[in-house]
Amino acid sequence: LDPGRHDGTGSLLKIGGKAATSPAENYHLARRRTLQVVVSALLTECGFESAEKAAVETLTEMMQSYITEIGRCAKAYCEHTARSIPTLSDTVVTLIEMGFKADTLPVYAKRSQRMVITAPPVTNAPVTPKALSAGQKRTHPAHIPGHFPEFPDPHTYIKTPTFREPVSDYQVVREKAASQRRDVERALTRFMAKTGETHSLFKDDITAFPLIAAQPSTIPYLSALLPSELELQTLEETDSSEQDDQTDSENAAGNIISDDPGADKENSMLPPGGVVPSAKASEDNVIDNPYLRPVKKPKVRRKK
Amino acid sequence: MNRKKDKAFESPLHITYLHCFSIVAFTTHQVVCINNINFQRKSVIGFVELTIFPTVVNLNRIKLNSKQCRIYRVRVNELEAPFIYNDPTLEVCHHESKQRNLNYFSSAYTAAVSAVDPDAGHGELVIKVPSELWKQDDLKVLKVYIEFSLDQPKGGLHFVVPDVEGSMAERGAHVFSFGYQNSTRFWFPCVDSYSELCTWKLEFTVDASMVAVSCGDLVETIYTPDMRKKTFHYVLPIPTAAPNISLSVGPFEILVDPYMHEVTHFCLPQLLPLLKHSMSYLHEIFEFYEEILTCRYPYACFKTVFVDEAYVQVSSYASMSIFSTNLLHSAMIIDQTPLTRRCLAQALAQQFFGCFISRMSWADEWVLKGISGYIYGLYLKKTFGVNEYRHWIKEELDKIVEYELKMGGVLLHPTFSGVKEKDNPTPHLHFSIKHPHTLSWEYYKMFQCKAHLVMRLIENRISMEFMLQVFNKLLSLASTASSQKYQSHMWSQMLLSTHAFLKSISNVSGKDIGPLIKQWVDQSAVVKFFGSFAFNRKRNVLELEIRQDYTSSGTQKYVGPIKVTVQELDGSFNHTLQIEENSLKHDIPCHSKSRRNKKKKIPLMNGEEVDMDLSAMDADSPLLWIRIDPDMSILRKVEFEQADFMWQYQLRYERDVVAQEESISALEKFPTPASRLALTDILEQEQCFYKVRMQACFCLAKIANAMVSTWQGPPAMKSLFTRMFCCKSCPNIVKTNNFLSFQSYFLQKTMPVAMALLRDVQNLCPKDVLNFILDLIKYNDNRKNKFSDNFYRAELIEALTNSLTPAISINNEVRTVDNLNADVRLILEEITRFLNMEKLLPSFRNTITVSCLSAIRQLQKNGHIPSDASLFKSYAEYGHFVDVRVAALEALVDYTRVERSSADLQWLLNMVQNDPAHYVRHKILGMLCKNPPFNKATDSALCNEALVDQLWKLMNSGTSHDWRLRCDAVNLYYTLFGLTRPSCLPLPELGLVLNLKEKKAVLNPTIKPELGVSSVMDTNYFIKTPSMGLKRKAETPLGSPPEPGQVLQQQEEDARGGRYKIRFNTMEDEDIDMETVHDSQAFIHHHLNLLERPSTPGKEPPSVEQSMLSMPATPVPSFPKETTSSSSKHGAEHGHHHHHHHHHEHKKKKKKHKHKHKHKHKHESKEKDRERDNSHAYSNSPASGRSLRSPSLSD
Repeated sequence: LDPGRHDGTGSLLKIGGKAATSPAENYHLARRRTLQVVVSALLTECGFESAEKAAVETLTEMMQSYITEIGRCAKAYCEHTARSIPTLSDTVVTLIEMGFKADTLPVYAKRSQRMVITAPPVTNAPVTPKALSAGQKRTHPAHIPGHFPEFPDPHTYIKTPTFREPVSDYQVVREKAASQRRDVERALTRFMAKTGETHSLFKDDITAFPLIAAQPSTIPYLSALLPSELELQTLEETDSSEQDDQTDSENAAGNIISDDPGADKENSMLPPGGVVPSAKASEDNVIDNPYLRPVKKPKVRRKK
Repeated sequence: MNRKKDKAFESPLHITYLHCFSIVAFTTHQVVCINNINFQRKSVIGFVELTIFPTVVNLNRIKLNSKQCRIYRVRVNELEAPFIYNDPTLEVCHHESKQRNLNYFSSAYTAAVSAVDPDAGHGELVIKVPSELWKQDDLKVLKVYIEFSLDQPKGGLHFVVPDVEGSMAERGAHVFSFGYQNSTRFWFPCVDSYSELCTWKLEFTVDASMVAVSCGDLVETIYTPDMRKKTFHYVLPIPTAAPNISLSVGPFEILVDPYMHEVTHFCLPQLLPLLKHSMSYLHEIFEFYEEILTCRYPYACFKTVFVDEAYVQVSSYASMSIFSTNLLHSAMIIDQTPLTRRCLAQALAQQFFGCFISRMSWADEWVLKGISGYIYGLYLKKTFGVNEYRHWIKEELDKIVEYELKMGGVLLHPTFSGVKEKDNPTPHLHFSIKHPHTLSWEYYKMFQCKAHLVMRLIENRISMEFMLQVFNKLLSLASTASSQKYQSHMWSQMLLSTHAFLKSISNVSGKDIGPLIKQWVDQSAVVKFFGSFAFNRKRNVLELEIRQDYTSSGTQKYVGPIKVTVQELDGSFNHTLQIEENSLKHDIPCHSKSRRNKKKKIPLMNGEEVDMDLSAMDADSPLLWIRIDPDMSILRKVEFEQADFMWQYQLRYERDVVAQEESISALEKFPTPASRLALTDILEQEQCFYKVRMQACFCLAKIANAMVSTWQGPPAMKSLFTRMFCCKSCPNIVKTNNFLSFQSYFLQKTMPVAMALLRDVQNLCPKDVLNFILDLIKYNDNRKNKFSDNFYRAELIEALTNSLTPAISINNEVRTVDNLNADVRLILEEITRFLNMEKLLPSFRNTITVSCLSAIRQLQKNGHIPSDASLFKSYAEYGHFVDVRVAALEALVDYTRVERSSADLQWLLNMVQNDPAHYVRHKILGMLCKNPPFNKATDSALCNEALVDQLWKLMNSGTSHDWRLRCDAVNLYYTLFGLTRPSCLPLPELGLVLNLKEKKAVLNPTIKPELGVSSVMDTNYFIKTPSMGLKRKAETPLGSPPEPGQVLQQQEEDARGGRYKIRFNTMEDEDIDMETVHDSQAFIHHHLNLLERPSTPGKEPPSVEQSMLSMPATPVPSFPKETTSSSSKHGAEHGHHHHHHHHHEHKKKKKKHKHKHKHKHKHESKEKDRERDNSHAYSNSPASGRSLRSPSLSD
């Protein structure tokens, strides 16, 4: 993830927090403080001498919501009329819509007892973090005028290609594969050792080299002779990949030829999985082997 | 049978009659019907029916073989017949015997085996033919019907019943017959001889979910009326000996061979895919044998059965073979493939010679083993190539030579001229070779090895064509005979004897191979040559000197031709020299002048012409290398001296793999840069046989270690390995595995193992090498490989093991994790991970675990981690894969030796007695012999009386159900204590003999068999313990009044009381040579009459003389009648102790007493005694019990 974006969201969550340092946060805090001053001034105007912090806070919140709503609404009206910047009339309509008598406003603004508050400190407006630009933005097709808004980034509506420069160095790849496998194996065996019985090679530190305890099995030859599922899986994979390599291995076959007939023989003698030729398989149906014959029913005793 | 008759039987004269028994009757047909097999109880019930043709009138008794069977009834032609069942091999020496010397045991054991030897007409089961049947004059066919059962058999049949939920079929429970040599008597009564042929009808009723596989043709399978079981009916029309009959029952998966529909394969559930793959090759072996023998496979069908916990890897029976299920493998396994094919080929070769053609007698065994081994060799040559074949021959030759030089000769064709023990043809052995059952397993393996090598020698002599013609002739004769109806002279054509074989050879080839047979078959031992040479420049002659050592044990003198091949500059020349009595020197004229044409190519033996760099050779001599007996046509060891450069030339340019291997072993003694170069070149040479290259790896490691101070460059083989197997771009990373080229694969496996043997100047494995191996493990990647890498990984662990060197230990501190050496920590890390991963993803045959266990033991032994046996014990338990168990047991045996742990030795011996797997029991004893906790030459705290007694008991009675195991126990006893009385035993009573004449005291040579206590007898003898008056001279100084005769004494100390002991004064009589038991037995007989008289007060001759025959029997102490009740068991055992105390007491009193046991017991009561006496002995009470009660006996 991009660290910049991450910070942005973080600041919103941390409003009111003590350690606010980023410019965006500062900006927001300054605004908020101004609002508080305004609320306090209004309260004084109304004759309050003091107010609880919570009350001020609530009022500030209400004020902020109100102003925000005016802004949002005004923006909506303006966009409704296909403009992009709100005008005075938009705001007026908004105020009216919100039940505020707009014509009273000039009078109120000019009241005598109003307090003048100091201008809010100038803070830099937060820079809207740049949207992640990924890939090339599309140019407008010919039938769309050039002044129309640009297309958004393709990742927002087409796809997000998140590839990184692949590590192509063979050595690093092997290294990584090897250590990854080793780590997995070690973690797995450690886990198994911790959850079950173990042998220890040392008397002083039983946990040093934990060996999973040997468990006798009832039919030990099965696991010792049958290939594990993992092996079968790799066998399948290599079998299928071999078809791609076919040409390759045919070329290589010439190189393998050697003067050891034994090994050569074996090469050719190992059919994959001992598959019986299919022609033979069909003959199987007619094989007359005494062990395949049906078991006879017992003879009915004739005598007695 | 009345007593008179009994007496008659006791006379030695009668032996002749009994020896002739084998021709007084013939079995022509036998029915075996097993109608109940209970897997839960491990029991079997059935009957047999033998059809017997008497050839003499008055055939009044029939002897059959039967062991451990419980016999319920015997009927002859529908008439109840009394019978007696006695097996002297159950307990060889009676356990009260204090005898502990092996000489004594061996002869007693041989006597016991002879006493039931079917070839001599003996047997454990004696049936009395009802008089109605034999009193007529005409010869009538007898039908002997025997009902029997087996309960938890310890031998003969093996039940494998996994302890899981489900029905027996779901559990994969199965049962199969097994045994060493003729062991069929263990599971049904028969004439258990290879020379007694008959036709068979076999019926087995088994659970409907099971299959019964047996010999012959399956005629039909029928459900029982309740439809829950089915009966398999087999018919074997080809006359077959009982030992070739077998059975296996289990929920087998059935595979009909796709190439040969008469061949059916059986394996245990879930293994069918493996079976399909492993058997896909069998038809080629069939074709090969049928082609070379020009003879069809003799049986109508063939069955292979793969079982768990097999006794041996391969065992062949008539028309079927039983294999270990561990031979099955998938297509991903490289290493197992040739091994399995070899086993199949062996089994099939034995079908022709061994099953179809059987042997005439034990002395002819070598012919059958020889022929089957020889044709198996031909198969190896065809399938695996000439290189592999020659390599194998060399390996076998080296093996037999090593064995014979170490143990003394192996005799192929023993002839026993007389009954006398003195005629023992192999006095150097601690066992008798008179019977297969007394042979040590190791010896028997060597015997087979020698047999096929001798066949090869015969082939060298008469050519292969003639050889194959002889085989063909033997087979055709046999198959003609087999199709005949019973006619004794015809069927005997199916039995092969040494004589018939030699006659056939001389008929076919017209050559006289007499001297060859005399040298290698009738005589034991091998030849040992020492060769050296000098080149005489003036005469241009090679002066070759060939000396022989024929005085050390296992060697013999060779006289005759010998081939010498000399490679000169101008070519290779064969010379045949005559080795004669006194000529050592042989002059061989050379063909080439030394180095005239430097540029010329040098012709080799095979016609090839090569360029050689001749700068290394001696400028004055045209000789490149010399080989003595290059074709291995003498069973010999050659130690030949030639210069290092000659060996190097031989390695580089001689094309024969045997020569290459010889030169590699010779080069070990020449650690020079030139040797290094020659070895490295051969390693890189891809045309070179891979096993030679593998051997070169190890030699290179040895040379590198010898040259450690001057070695230049990277560690040996490292750059080579990098070049061959590592990535071009990053030389420290091995390529991802691709084992398509098997030679490379084997080399890749071997090189790290050899490299790890390298040592630097501090005698440590170089850091480079260790890191290199660790990297190989780290970067090992098998994902793209179509073969499994489990053997490769196992070898890498072995490499780690090889890299270990002893830890530097200060003051024997306890090994802790903290003071673990950093390198060892890395190694241990890998081993831990491997061993743990194996639990999650087990490898084929658990090779990884096997390697890890030996690595851990090595770490312990070198003092890196605390020595501890518990890990190995847990892996050795029943329930682990057998290879793992054996590896763990090997570590334990080693631990026992190093730590001298008596508890662990006990643990091992306990397993020998109780483990369900026969192979494991055999293996433990074998490993203990190879790596004994102590031996006869060393003193050890382990060597004590209790151990002697325990082992004695083990071989005496504890192993009576397994011939092989008993011989293993004998071997162990021999290894630990030697032939004589173990030194740790207290001296027997007469420890000091004072010789007044010479006025000195001498230690009684306790080696001599003690006569006084008990002895063993041969058939027809009742052993009588000799009683001799004490020599006064010896007695008097000891202050003990001589007690004449016997004293009947109440034993007050006896808690059970009321038992009487007959005390005898007995002492070895100087006048009589008691060197051997035989002599002692002769002596016994000499005194028989004297002792026959019931002169013992309080000891009455047993009144129930029911024995119809004198039985071969072991001596039993005599008890007064009241003790024959069940308490006699205790009586017997405690009596033993009792003697002991008593002796000591009397020693103090300086009184010399010895007990005498009079063995005038009836064998029935012996039987009873023994049965209760001995928990090891199989109880066979119903048999004997019945015969006791049998009314017909009292007539």
